[in-house]
Amino acid sequence: MDPLSSDEIIVERALTGDAEAFGEIVRRWERRIFALTYGILGREEDARDATQETFIAAFRNLRGFRGEAKVSSWLHRIAVNQCISRQRRAKVRSESALEEEQEKDASSFVAPVDYSPLRVAEGRQETLAVRRALNSLPIELRQVVVMKEFEELTFREIAEALDLPLSTVKSRLYTALKQLQLRLQKFESRN
Amino acid sequence: MNEMNNSPSCERNPDLIAFLYDEATESEARDFKLHLQECSSCRAELASFGLVRESIVAWRDEALSGFVSSPLAAKAPARSALAALRQFFDLSPLWLKAAIGFAVLTFCALAVLAFARLQPKAPAVAVKDPNAIYSQEDVDRLVEGALAKQALPAPKPPIPGITVRLTKPKRVATSTQMAKSRRPLSRSERDQLAADLRLLSTQEDVRLNLLGDRINQ
Repeated sequence: MDPLSSDEIIVERALTGDAEAFGEIVRRWERRIFALTYGILGREEDARDATQETFIAAFRNLRGFRGEAKVSSWLHRIAVNQCISRQRRAKVRSESALEEEQEKDASSFVAPVDYSPLRVAEGRQETLAVRRALNSLPIELRQVVVMKEFEELTFREIAEALDLPLSTVKSRLYTALKQLQLRLQKFESRN
Repeated sequence: MNEMNNSPSCERNPDLIAFLYDEATESEARDFKLHLQECSSCRAELASFGLVRESIVAWRDEALSGFVSSPLAAKAPARSALAALRQFFDLSPLWLKAAIGFAVLTFCALAVLAFARLQPKAPAVAVKDPNAIYSQEDVDRLVEGALAKQALPAPKPPIPGITVRLTKPKRVATSTQMAKSRRPLSRSERDQLAADLRLLSTQEDVRLNLLGDRINQ
């Protein structure tokens, strides 16, 4: 497989029955899709599952890809939809269970070995605060933050992936940052 | 504009976001910088949003770098065997380096010795001395050898279109050797010679009196 081939060419090859072509798409995009799903879902296990489901869904809908959008935007849209549906399913779980999971996840914060115990503790606290603040955002705000900060997509790419006007992306990002700022300020004042 | 500057939030939020993420055009950025000089609200938001972004990025880096077990973790680039060896040597203690060096030198010395032993010795070349003095017996032997050589038929040229099947050459007792050995041919040697030369059928050798042949005496 030519590493310089564009995603669109590789998808065309996959459509003509090239068995290795879709594997190349997965190899190219799995890390970034994982980062996106992790940013939105906040749990490694969920992010792995969502990433896997994203590629399965993409493979199943390969014939539905008309080439109007970029492959990356198409994959991001599928990944965001997977995250949203997972979050809806997770709502049946009780809030207390989610809190416990969040505490558990925060305790698994991996600090560099040369960090002092105080710094590790601070890192855990800050990680927990950012995660909680992000998780408390509505999904439509969270996804734009993650796409911007985790994926480093441009406003135009986010707009294309989410099928939104450019102005909406900017306004959602502004609202998200504003809410995060308020939540983090609250956390700091408490500590 | 000034009224807006003192309000908690400015109308130029989209410009602020584009400026924050470095996605404003050159002219838009210049314009927004001028606005920042006048708008305290935008200045404060720009600073606080910068801190929020730093926190998110710090969390992202810590969180994603912690996934050692993740199948999506970056694959280590394939290293060459040379690079792996170099790293091994870098990490090895001094005594191990010395031992490996000694082992390599010993191996090289043994390899050179083995190679020298396996080399075929150069055959002793019989140098014909033009000033050598030949006895009558030597002259007779040489003449007999030459005669025996002449008695052998010249090899036939290969037939076009016939594939030559190369086989291990049979050890044929030549006439020269026979003359040298000066002993009668055994039955098997005769059979072999007749077959090789395609001269006689096996039935005919009964009539032959090879022992009476001068060459075989």
